[in-house]
Amino acid sequence: MTGRQRIAVAGLGTVHSAPPGTSQRMMAAEAARRAIADAGLSIRDIDGALDLRRTGGGGDRANYSDVFTRVLGVPAQFYFTVGRGGALAGLATAVATGFLDRGLANYVLCVGAVDDYTKSQATKKKGMRGMAHADKEGYWGKPLGDVRAASHHSWMAARHMAVYGTTSAQLGAISVAERSWACLNPEARMYGRPITVEDHQNSPWVVEPYHLLDVSLVSDGAIAFILTTEERAKDCAQQPVYVQGQGFGEVAAELWWEKRNFTEMAVAPAKAKAFEQAGLSGVQDIDCAQLYDCFTAEVLFQLEDYGWCEKGQGGTFVESGAIGPGGSIPVNTGGGLLSNWHLGDLTGWAEGVTQLRKQAGERQVPDCETVLATGHGGELVSPGMCSIHTSTILGVA
Amino acid sequence: MTETEPKPWTKPFPNIDADNEAFWNGLKEHQLLLWTCHTCGAQYWPKAFCIKHENEEFARNMSWQPGSGRGRIFAMNRHHWAFHPGFTDDVPYTYALVELDEGPLISSTIVGEVPESLMAVGTPVRVVYEDHPAEGFSLPRFELVRD
Repeated sequence: MTGRQRIAVAGLGTVHSAPPGTSQRMMAAEAARRAIADAGLSIRDIDGALDLRRTGGGGDRANYSDVFTRVLGVPAQFYFTVGRGGALAGLATAVATGFLDRGLANYVLCVGAVDDYTKSQATKKKGMRGMAHADKEGYWGKPLGDVRAASHHSWMAARHMAVYGTTSAQLGAISVAERSWACLNPEARMYGRPITVEDHQNSPWVVEPYHLLDVSLVSDGAIAFILTTEERAKDCAQQPVYVQGQGFGEVAAELWWEKRNFTEMAVAPAKAKAFEQAGLSGVQDIDCAQLYDCFTAEVLFQLEDYGWCEKGQGGTFVESGAIGPGGSIPVNTGGGLLSNWHLGDLTGWAEGVTQLRKQAGERQVPDCETVLATGHGGELVSPGMCSIHTSTILGVA
Repeated sequence: MTETEPKPWTKPFPNIDADNEAFWNGLKEHQLLLWTCHTCGAQYWPKAFCIKHENEEFARNMSWQPGSGRGRIFAMNRHHWAFHPGFTDDVPYTYALVELDEGPLISSTIVGEVPESLMAVGTPVRVVYEDHPAEGFSLPRFELVRD
C-alpha cells in the first residue's frame, strides 16, 4: 500500500480529428497510445483502465469485447466503465484515486471517445437533429416534446432571465468570449471564425431563449489521460499536474422540492470540499477556469455559484469581458465545448493540463499554476435536470 | 381536447412501468394524480418516498391521489427545431415547466393561447388531456387560465 500521496496527471493524449469513419474504439485506442507516449511510459506499464462514457452501463457504445484496452493491447488488471455524461474526468479521477491509494494500480489510463458528429450526420437523414433523448428509458418529456438537452437546459436559462433579468445578449457575451479563445487555438473547430454579440443575436433560435450560438458543438474524437502517484509522476516525461482537491455535489440531494436547481448548479458542496483540500480560500486563487459549458447559461451559473460575482450578476460580469482573453478570469481558454470541441468535461480537463504545462501557445495564461476544472452531467432527473457537479483543482505547485 | 380523427402516433412513446402505471391510468380518466403521503399529506411527482419523515417499506404509507391539475409556469421555452421527426408539424411549440399548486414540478406543452414572452413566469395554468385511445394513453398538456 502506497499511502496517500497526491495523485497526478502524468500523460495526456487527444485525437481531435480522425479519418472519416474511424470507430470510437480506434479513436480511443489512439488517444490512449498518445497519452502513454506523452508520459514516456510503455503500454506494458498500464495496469488499470477506465472507459469514460456518456451513459452508464454501456449504453451508447456497448461493445465490451473490443474495447480500447484490447485494441491497444493494454494489460490492465481492471477495466470498467465510468458513465455520467459531462462529469467523466472528475469522476474517473475519484475512482482511480482509490486504486492508486491502495496500491491496486500504478498507472490508470482513463479514456473517453465520441463519434457524435458522424452519428448526427447519419440521423439527420432520418429527420433527427443532434442527440435526441427519444430512446432514453423512463424520460418523462420525450412524448411531449422535451426531447433534447437543449430543451430542458434552455428553460434553466429562461428561468434565470425571468428571476434576475439576464438577457440573451449577455449570454451571447459568453459565446463571444469562448470564440475569442478558440481563435487563439489552431486546433479548435472554430479557429479563425470570430463572432460578435450581434452574430449571436442573429443566429437562429434553436430552443428559445437559446440561439444556435448558445449551443455546444457536436464532435468526433477522443481524450485520454494517465493518473499515477506523485512519486511515480516525477519519473515521467512531462511536468506532473497534481490533483490538489476534489468535491462533488448532487442537485437531486433534496429531490424536486429543491427548485433553486433551475438557476444554480450543485456547486456549494463541491467547491467547499475541493477548495479546502487544495488549501485555497476562494476563486481569487484560481488562475484559469475550465467551466462545463454544454450551453451558455451553465457558465453563467458557475461564475455566480463559485463567487466570481454575486448571484444574479453573471450577465453584467460576462458583458464586461471578464472571461475572455485579457479578462480577470480566463474561462475555457481552448474555446470550450461551444467553440473548441465537445467531449464532455474531458475537453476542459485536457485544456487545464495543457495550460498548467505551459503548452497552450498563443492562448497561454501567464503564470498559470492553479486551474479549476468542472463537470456537470449524469442522469436526467424528472422533470428534467442533469444531477452531478464535479469540482477539481489542478495545479503544478 | 380529444382527438376526433386518431392519427398514428409518430412521436416517441411514453415509458409506462410498474411505478407509474396508476398515474398513466389516471390521465386516461382525466385526473392528474399525485403521490401522496398518508401521514403528512405532502404530495410528490413522480413516485417517491416522503422526505419529511421516515417511511414504510416501498413507501407503502403513500398512494396516488387526485391533484388540482392547477399550477403556475415556472420556466418556459419555445422549440423552433424539431429534434425528432414526430414534432416537425408542431414547431414552433411552447414547452413549460409547471409548478403545481401542491408543490411538485411537471412539464409539458402549452396548448391554445401561448404567452408572448417567455418571461411570463407565475402565469396560472391548468391541465388538459389529450387522448390517444388507439395507443392506450392520454397525455397532459397545459393551457392558460383565463377567469
